[in-house]
Amino acid sequence: MGSTSSSEVIIHSSAVEYAPLILILPMLAFPVILFLGKIFNGNPFWKNSVKEGGLIALVIMGASLLLSLWLIKDFIGSFDSMDEFTDWTWFTSSMWNSGNETDTVVFGFGVHVDHITVVLLFVASFLCLLINSFAIGYMNTDPINDNRNHRFYAEFVLFCSGMLGMVLADSFLWLFIFWELMGLCSYLLIGFYYERPSAAYAAKKAFLTTRVGDVFLMVGLAMLWTLFDGHLDYAYVFNDDNIAKVDPASLAWALGLMFIGAVGKSAQFPLHVWLPDAMEGPTPVSALIHAATMVNAGLYLVARMFPFFGSEHMFGQLDDLAFIIAAIGGTTAVMAAAIAFVQTDLKKVLAYSTMSQLAYIFTGLGAALYLANTLHWHGAGHEVEHGIVVVAFGAALFHLFNHAMAKGMLFMASGAVIHEVHHAHHHLHHDDHHHEPSPKELVMLATYLKEKDQSAFEFFTSIDLDGSGEIDTYEFKEALKSAEIADLPPWEMEPLMNAIDLDGNGKINVPELDLTLTRVLLEEAHDHDDHHEEFDAQSMDNMGGLASKMPITATAMLVGSLSIMGFPLIGGFWSKEGIIANTWRVALDDPRFMYPALCVLLGAGMTGFYMSRMWLKTFAGSPKGEVAAHVGPTNTWIKTPLFILTFITLSGIILASMGFTHWAPESKGELLHDSLLDGFLYEMEHAFANHDSFFFILSYVALFFGAIVGPGLALSLYGGKLDDGETAKPWFTPVLALNAAIKGRYHWDNSALSESTLATALSNRLYFDHYYDMAMLKIVAAFSFKAAEADSGVIDGTIKTIERTSQQLSTKLRALTTGSARDYILMAAIGTLVLFGLIWGVVA
Amino acid sequence: MTDGIEPFGEGFVTALAPEFVLVIGLFTLMIVPNLGDAKFRIPLTQVRIPWLFGGKRGTLDSDPRLPGIFASVFFVMAFILAVVSFIGGMETKTIASGTNELLKVDEFSRLFELIFYGALALASIASIDRLPATSRKDRSVSGLYNNRRQVDFYILLMTCGLGMSVVALAQDMFLLFIGLELASFSTYVLVAFMKETKEGSEAGMKYFIVGSVASGVGLYGLSLLYLWSGSLQFEELSAHFNATGMDPLPLTALGMLLVGFGFKVSAAPFHFAAPDAYAGAPGPVAGVLATASKAMGIVGLLRILLVVASPEGMDDATTVWLVALAVLSVVTMTWGNLAALGSTNPKRMLAYSSVAHAGYMLAAITAIGALNWEADHADASRNAALAVVTALMFHLVVLVCFKLGAFLVLSLLESENGGHTLESLGGLVKREPFLAVAMFIFMMSLAGVPPLAGFLSKLLVVMGIVKAALLESGSGSITFSEIHWVWYLALIMVINSAISVFYYLRVGLVMFFNEPEEGREGPLPNGTSIRFAIVACVASTIYFGVGAGQLIALCESAANALVGAW
Repeated sequence: MGSTSSSEVIIHSSAVEYAPLILILPMLAFPVILFLGKIFNGNPFWKNSVKEGGLIALVIMGASLLLSLWLIKDFIGSFDSMDEFTDWTWFTSSMWNSGNETDTVVFGFGVHVDHITVVLLFVASFLCLLINSFAIGYMNTDPINDNRNHRFYAEFVLFCSGMLGMVLADSFLWLFIFWELMGLCSYLLIGFYYERPSAAYAAKKAFLTTRVGDVFLMVGLAMLWTLFDGHLDYAYVFNDDNIAKVDPASLAWALGLMFIGAVGKSAQFPLHVWLPDAMEGPTPVSALIHAATMVNAGLYLVARMFPFFGSEHMFGQLDDLAFIIAAIGGTTAVMAAAIAFVQTDLKKVLAYSTMSQLAYIFTGLGAALYLANTLHWHGAGHEVEHGIVVVAFGAALFHLFNHAMAKGMLFMASGAVIHEVHHAHHHLHHDDHHHEPSPKELVMLATYLKEKDQSAFEFFTSIDLDGSGEIDTYEFKEALKSAEIADLPPWEMEPLMNAIDLDGNGKINVPELDLTLTRVLLEEAHDHDDHHEEFDAQSMDNMGGLASKMPITATAMLVGSLSIMGFPLIGGFWSKEGIIANTWRVALDDPRFMYPALCVLLGAGMTGFYMSRMWLKTFAGSPKGEVAAHVGPTNTWIKTPLFILTFITLSGIILASMGFTHWAPESKGELLHDSLLDGFLYEMEHAFANHDSFFFILSYVALFFGAIVGPGLALSLYGGKLDDGETAKPWFTPVLALNAAIKGRYHWDNSALSESTLATALSNRLYFDHYYDMAMLKIVAAFSFKAAEADSGVIDGTIKTIERTSQQLSTKLRALTTGSARDYILMAAIGTLVLFGLIWGVVA
Repeated sequence: MTDGIEPFGEGFVTALAPEFVLVIGLFTLMIVPNLGDAKFRIPLTQVRIPWLFGGKRGTLDSDPRLPGIFASVFFVMAFILAVVSFIGGMETKTIASGTNELLKVDEFSRLFELIFYGALALASIASIDRLPATSRKDRSVSGLYNNRRQVDFYILLMTCGLGMSVVALAQDMFLLFIGLELASFSTYVLVAFMKETKEGSEAGMKYFIVGSVASGVGLYGLSLLYLWSGSLQFEELSAHFNATGMDPLPLTALGMLLVGFGFKVSAAPFHFAAPDAYAGAPGPVAGVLATASKAMGIVGLLRILLVVASPEGMDDATTVWLVALAVLSVVTMTWGNLAALGSTNPKRMLAYSSVAHAGYMLAAITAIGALNWEADHADASRNAALAVVTALMFHLVVLVCFKLGAFLVLSLLESENGGHTLESLGGLVKREPFLAVAMFIFMMSLAGVPPLAGFLSKLLVVMGIVKAALLESGSGSITFSEIHWVWYLALIMVINSAISVFYYLRVGLVMFFNEPEEGREGPLPNGTSIRFAIVACVASTIYFGVGAGQLIALCESAANALVGAW
């Protein structure tokens, strides 16, 4: 499959041979879970012991993670690119090219492993597993999901499979295929609660908005395909000799169009509108989209373009595109952070934070791509330049890693908070009539009788087949079946019988039935009333003071927020500093880059503010409202991933010391430090005592904004001491004390600001959705009506005509098959004569 | 060929091991059920020698289920032996009597034997449930009747298999015809095996009458060939054809042989009896007719068209049979698909779809005829011919997986007197989800949906035809007018495939969205072995769809054995 340049070493690792399993396993699990779920739906073993497929998914994702780790271990062990490995060939075909020569085209799937793959692979497989565990704790404990969780897990594994496949694929074509698979899964999962109009709308919006980008991506890929003589596999397109043959301007266009696809997928300005609405999906889905899979896909695509930018043949030709990438990133970073200021919905804050942090990574990538494109950094004598490029790219990649870990944790923690708040709300408002929800068949039966205006007695006599005056299980089962309510297997009849059978004799009599049905109707009416009162379990206005009640969740949330803010020594700090520094480094060279550079610096302060605001509003201060006071701790399935991710985020310093800040394509083993201590000193020196005075000042300015100004403002406005008698874990004490002190001394009234036009505009998301909707209505809707007409008239009309004609022909033809052997022989004779005629005709 | 093996000479049995397994199986089936405690009294004495043949039967050997199990085991053994001969490279062996080549064991014949034995093994395994043997305690007339004819059914399957392997191996036109008739006669009886039903006996009768006429015409063609060349050896016929092939005698013979084999592959307009036969025959037998029997017809066509009247030998660029075959293929595929569109009997629908598939295969052979064998084109032409034959073989192999599988699913419905109307498939997914999914996979594969085997087989055939058509245009950049007209065959084939999707999908629609028919709500009849056969079909349909590499290589070696000599 193409040729590989001599510098690339192909390492035959058995891990690579098994690598396709990483994505095939979850893909196979998809139908398995779906079918088992259909068959065993409602079965107690399936529900309680298999968690409606959750455990199957968990085992599969665990296996994927182990295989990924094996691959990563082999890769790190060799520190080289294990590049090309076409593992599985579907079929080979010869095709004619324009020069009338045969090209052999291999239809198959291969695995491409390099530095970028490794980072994304770990992020995806690791977080998918943790989120899966979280989902078991989150989805299976909510009665609203009962008997449909298998759909969730099936789509979940398919989603993971899409991401893993995209990361491992060895060509842009497969990348695109898996990219679209993820698009489909995101649609299905965001719309998981499709009965809610808002969820259905959000799903459609996400699908259509990303589709806009995908169209451009497809055009870009088509251009790339033409530019590279019908190749999209990495081995061919990243080959330097092949890049040399390509016109730089055309390549810039192709990559630019592909970048629009990435903008859609990673929710960047101006295609960002879908991401906040995507919060309509269940929280595990949000975690999956924001941390492990979907939004990283766009980043991955841009990162994949690195070899084009880094090629000597493109030297200085693609810098405009790099600037566009960085500028889009810078714009989104500030815009999203500003909108996050005014959000009250816990998950929406996180959504905008994702958008903003992804923008950071785009800016970082833009800077790195610019450097790679404008520096001579290959070969001997260019070690310094090589270092600069690698560090710039590494910072962006490392931020992707840190952000994914922190954001996965934040979403899971927020999910835990919402789950428990919701639970507390439910608990609180149902205490007076605490009961198991009535089986839905009973509700249906009661409604059915009410609609038919039939009394329980009438119904009873109609179903008492043997006239014994009591109904047994069989009779009741038949009755339910004949009323078209349900046809249940015997084991599911048991709870129904128990619910009615008050005296426990195993049979039902008239008073029992009458009492139960009346009670069911009453409860049903009551439940309906419940749904009328509005309670938003996601609103931070209903929280506060949770630090003492959910210690692990609060810790995870704190660590995650600090990482996102770039608080010194924690995960995100290292990468964020790197991105800011490198953007400024480019800005010194190219004044255009002043714009993204200023944006990311400003964004650092804004991040500090909104992340602190979110934590303080949720966990500090006194509980706002009765519900927040009654929240309890969460379950183990949820705690475990939170615990693991907290640990990983805190150990950012170790990862940085190991040299992951310059983990980038073409960085070789020597860039990783010999010892942790060396690495630690090196990183500390770079971060806090840079020899270059410009970067020295810059790092402290960034630190000042991100860790002091932003959080300081938030501390003065929100949160406060916990209520008396509430004790929090010791590590919250300094935070809460600082909060209380600052708020006490510097609290100021921000109502004027929060009611200003700007704030209104921000809470309306700067009216983007509004204008998009208007444009859609004015332009697209009119066009689509015309298209619909053309479709039903011309296209459908043609097809219908063809269909009708074929059916008529079919009738005529079949009429020839008379059923009489004589006619058959006659036809055969005619056929023989025609054959003779044809053969003779050719000869004559 | 001087190093040929003499019949019954050294190495004869090892060369034909799979066939001998069938012969042994045949005798086993004849002997074992008749073993008893009969004794033979030596005349004039009172000495009685155990004779064992007849008398009171033992419990084990008279078990009515025995023949089915025996037949399945022998078919599987033959299949395995045929597979084994591929391992470590095939050794080409020729059975010759003096200088007359009789049989040739090579990749080509062995691959066809794999198709035959595979299909027959599946049919035989499935028939254990389709044609159930009742308990010996059941003394009712139908019970006794069922048990009595068990062995007949499997003996006929065995002779059918034997005849088919002779066809695949034959190097002599006459031998080929003997094998063809042996297999055909077995199938005539098998089709009418359910003679207590009206459809069964009628179908068998019609199939027999039309088949005999076709055979008669073919045999007449054969005698004309012999009259003309004095030999029926393929090699000699081929040499003779290159010299004086344009004489009226061989051309008439060619036309007549086309009729004979055309009936076997059910090409229009010789296909008329096929839908009746498929609909009346038991499901597994119909499956064999649509797969193995058709493959047998294709062997005959390949031998007569590519070996005897080989296009390679022609000095002028046009092959005599090119136009005739092209017309035949277009008519066949179009007729099959259009007729299938309106069929409401799923077995007739599959029969017509089988006609359409015959059309696709004929189109592939036509493309070979269009190749240019002038000196400067010969190499490329050989490659193209190889690709087409490979595609053809692949198509025949995977056809066994999904077409036979579809018939087996219908066969289960037949056991409850269904399967003759589309409605009887209604709500299958509720009655037995596995069967519905399996049937859906077969339908998708027949329609040619990736990544199933049916997609790949159609794709390979289309690519082969296009390749052959482009090759004809010569060197330099291609303009449209230079492309050989066989290109249109590929186009028509694609259009036909599009039409066919309609009726394949309709089956899925009925199975998944319709309610079960009145009186058919319950579970389907039991039967582990038939479900096992269906699982095997599903697995291979999927496997050959995604992991086709090995099979394609196998087909290529087989194709090489046929056309490599050019």
